[in-house]
Amino acid sequence: MRSLEDKLKTMFIVSAVALSLIGLAFVHSAGSYWGAVHYADSIPFIVKQGIYTAVSIGIALVIMKSPLTSYPKTWTVFYFAMILLLVAVLIPGIGVVRNGSQSWIALGPFSLQPAEFVKVALIGKLACSMDKTGKKKVFHWQHFGLILLPAALIMLQPDLGSAVIMIISAFVILFIAGYPLKFFTFLGVGGIAAFIALIAAAPYRLDRIKSYIDPWNDPLGTGFQGIQSLFAIAPGGLFGHGYGNSRQKYLYLPEPQNDFIFSIIAEETGFIGATFVLLLFVVLLVATFGIAIRTKRRHELLMVAGMGSMIIFQTFLNMGVVSGLLPVTGVTLPFISYGGSSLMTTWLAAGTIMHFASRRSSIG
Amino acid sequence: MQALRTFILLQSKKRLRAIFVIFLILLAMVVGKLFHVQIIKHELLKERAEANWDREIPFGGVRGEILDRNGDLLVGNQLAPTLYFMPSQNREITSTAKAVAEVLGTDAAKLEEKMSKKAIMNKLAPEGMNITKEQADEIARLQIDGLYTGVDFIRSYPKGELLSRLLGFTGYDGNGLAGIEYAYDEILSGTGDKIRLYTDAKGIPLPHVDDGFTTGKKGASVELTIDSRMQEVLERELLQAMEKYDSAQALGIIMNPKTGELLSLASVPTYHPAEYQKVDQSIYNRNLPVWMTFEPGSTFKIVTLAAGLEEKVIDLHHEHFFDPGYVMVEGARLRCWSRGGHGDQTFLEVVENSCNPGFVEIGQRLGGKKLDQYIRAFGFGQSTGSGIAGEANGILFSEKAFGPVEQATTAFGQGISVTPIQQVQAVAAAINGGYLYRPYIVKEILDDKGETLQAFEPEMQRQVISEETSKQVREALESVVANGSGRNAFTDGLRVGGKTGTAQKVVDGNYKDGDYIVSFIGFAPADDPELLVYVAVDSPKNASQFGGVIAAPIVGRVIEEIAPLAGITPRREGQLEKEYRWGDTLTHRVPDLTGMTRKSVRGQLYTYQIEWHGSGEKVKYQLPAADTLIGVDDVIHVYTE
Repeated sequence: MRSLEDKLKTMFIVSAVALSLIGLAFVHSAGSYWGAVHYADSIPFIVKQGIYTAVSIGIALVIMKSPLTSYPKTWTVFYFAMILLLVAVLIPGIGVVRNGSQSWIALGPFSLQPAEFVKVALIGKLACSMDKTGKKKVFHWQHFGLILLPAALIMLQPDLGSAVIMIISAFVILFIAGYPLKFFTFLGVGGIAAFIALIAAAPYRLDRIKSYIDPWNDPLGTGFQGIQSLFAIAPGGLFGHGYGNSRQKYLYLPEPQNDFIFSIIAEETGFIGATFVLLLFVVLLVATFGIAIRTKRRHELLMVAGMGSMIIFQTFLNMGVVSGLLPVTGVTLPFISYGGSSLMTTWLAAGTIMHFASRRSSIG
Repeated sequence: MQALRTFILLQSKKRLRAIFVIFLILLAMVVGKLFHVQIIKHELLKERAEANWDREIPFGGVRGEILDRNGDLLVGNQLAPTLYFMPSQNREITSTAKAVAEVLGTDAAKLEEKMSKKAIMNKLAPEGMNITKEQADEIARLQIDGLYTGVDFIRSYPKGELLSRLLGFTGYDGNGLAGIEYAYDEILSGTGDKIRLYTDAKGIPLPHVDDGFTTGKKGASVELTIDSRMQEVLERELLQAMEKYDSAQALGIIMNPKTGELLSLASVPTYHPAEYQKVDQSIYNRNLPVWMTFEPGSTFKIVTLAAGLEEKVIDLHHEHFFDPGYVMVEGARLRCWSRGGHGDQTFLEVVENSCNPGFVEIGQRLGGKKLDQYIRAFGFGQSTGSGIAGEANGILFSEKAFGPVEQATTAFGQGISVTPIQQVQAVAAAINGGYLYRPYIVKEILDDKGETLQAFEPEMQRQVISEETSKQVREALESVVANGSGRNAFTDGLRVGGKTGTAQKVVDGNYKDGDYIVSFIGFAPADDPELLVYVAVDSPKNASQFGGVIAAPIVGRVIEEIAPLAGITPRREGQLEKEYRWGDTLTHRVPDLTGMTRKSVRGQLYTYQIEWHGSGEKVKYQLPAADTLIGVDDVIHVYTE
């Protein structure tokens, strides 16, 4: 008889692999035209994504098996290594600017986005730092230092999407760890203030909010991406145009293999297909939290829940933008969007979750 | 310690469930939003998306033609090879523009600006429109990416400048910008052929998708009431008069008084519609017969006369009026145009002489209210509703300002401002039995196969005077031409009736000395008018500035020449013979000589100058024909067997 733990782990792996395969299929469908036009001389997206997927799953398997994953020291080293990369990316000559953000480090034909990896590193480090003692009082200034350092570095690039996902995931950990509720109330007020401050600091964010409220106001300017996304998914209707038959991928929607890949999925497979993909994420959510609740140690629970929250919140953010529920923020769809750093980060999280799902109550 | 740990873990699990629920709610919101967009707003957004994908290349539509009443082409179309450029297919716009400009001989910078417009396809007009075959060949040899030679149409004008100020013209995009072209633009416009391209967002055709093609539709044609043959006569006469009298401009109208159909509508100077840019907008934008307003002068007396006869306040033949050369109205001395006055006259002679005090008398007998009623009933004070672009209303005295002096001057046509077409409309009613017809210019609208889409019928607005009164007006006006101020319009056998007009021009509210608009309104035949002709010459010089001297002979000549076109045959029964005055050429009628012998001709007809041809005894034919009116010194040629 297979245990419930086994079933949860299987659920998790099946949904994660299924999402990755769907991702490969749609990176091909959505990105081939864009790639042929803009990157005619480089390797096709689908080939690169295939390599990324293979490498990512390989690394995830190592993380799953390796005892190092359970050692807090591993996460400390990983965390500080990523902080170093975040600093490095800000140095001109090392960091590469794309679309107005200095977020990439070029490595030959590939490029690395440290902000992606630091999310996983922070979740791991933060979770470990929560389990020092069994003290009732969990509040500690050190936690905020751990969160704010990478958050500030990411905002210097700037990369609001990654920062928001990282901070939300970290707060989910603090919440589950038992931070008092009034702390979150206080944080809510502070968050609104910070939100306003962020908008004031960069006028383009205000334009995004405006275009979110009324995208038709400036359909060729700030409302452009949101409208083009709606032009993809709305004509898709219930059943979609069929795989490969997207219209919007022909340069109407910018980088369709990337942040807006879910638009193409919704366009080609309709409401049914889009909901199916979303349900796979729900399965992933159920499996992750099932795994989390069955862990025996707090930092394990926090790490699994944190990693899962990161994936699910990022999914929500991406799909919310695509469907017009949220203002445009550039975040990838986990497992599915094209991009090595994004995919690898997601699988790092998945590997960690699988690691703790496999650890059969060794510690009682 | 273990207990505390368990407690904390339990609390963590509780909060974990809370987070789980929150995430489920967030994802459910996404599903809800997807449902809203993909199912509920599906149709609306799909339409907008399709508009966003629409990549249609329109080709110039064939515009409808403009024809005259006999189906003669006034404005047609001709093929014009035209250059189109797709900016997405060629990035080297600067060098391309330079190469093309060199062939066309135009400015490269301007061409570059047109080529780089952000559109799927740019029409390079007017520079690259209607290019020659040589230019097209040379450009084809350059093999420029994204540059295509398409087929477009431009307007052709088989009759040149004829009727240009009515017809108007089109811009290089084919839209009507003035005249009939402008007023009937929607009807004339065709829909061009369209190629629907399936492209990416930048206009590059997608592989493996066929382009769609929609065939266009030719615009409807407009058939005018104009008879271009009459128009030619009228314009020629006006141009000659303009030259002869060194006048600024002249205008003319020919109308069928029984229907309101405008047979000609002329303004000179004219221009060629294809070269409208070369003339001032005051020429191409002003269709004088409807646009110009001025003091009508004596032609307006027809209205006063008709009102007076209808109200029976005068008797033309049996009542006398004495003109001392002026009339006093409320202390104002209104002079007759004839300084010494016309003395004792019947009212018919008042009309023949165009005697101002006589008309003041008629006006006073009518009273201001009646006079004003008739003036408005005859259609003055408001646009005729002819539908011709740019028609003016004219100005009458308001009821308040219409005092005795104003009434008196209005009675002989001064102090008010009217358009030529209003005068023609009113006079038509005065002579056609009293029926006021709305003037109109479009007879029919025809589809591209020549089938009638819409036909316009005469529109009788109201009867202003009785048939009997109208008959008296006709008779009086025939005698104006036979015996009075309109003598120069006399045309033998056509029974011309009419009235002169001379009005001082008003510039900035003041009469301008020595600057007149002279006019004549004439009709034929007087007993059953088929044609009504109005001519006005603005600021004539080199001659005495009277309508009777300048405008009347033009109307006479025009009527004589167009009568056969209107199916009027000369006949003299009932004609008022022209009264001889000193200075007139002495005339007599040619007798019928055919069949007569030399002897009898010589014996009986010694007063005529006869030239014999041939050696026979009997006259076989003669020139001119019998009954023709000729001068006493003119020669009759007779031919014998």
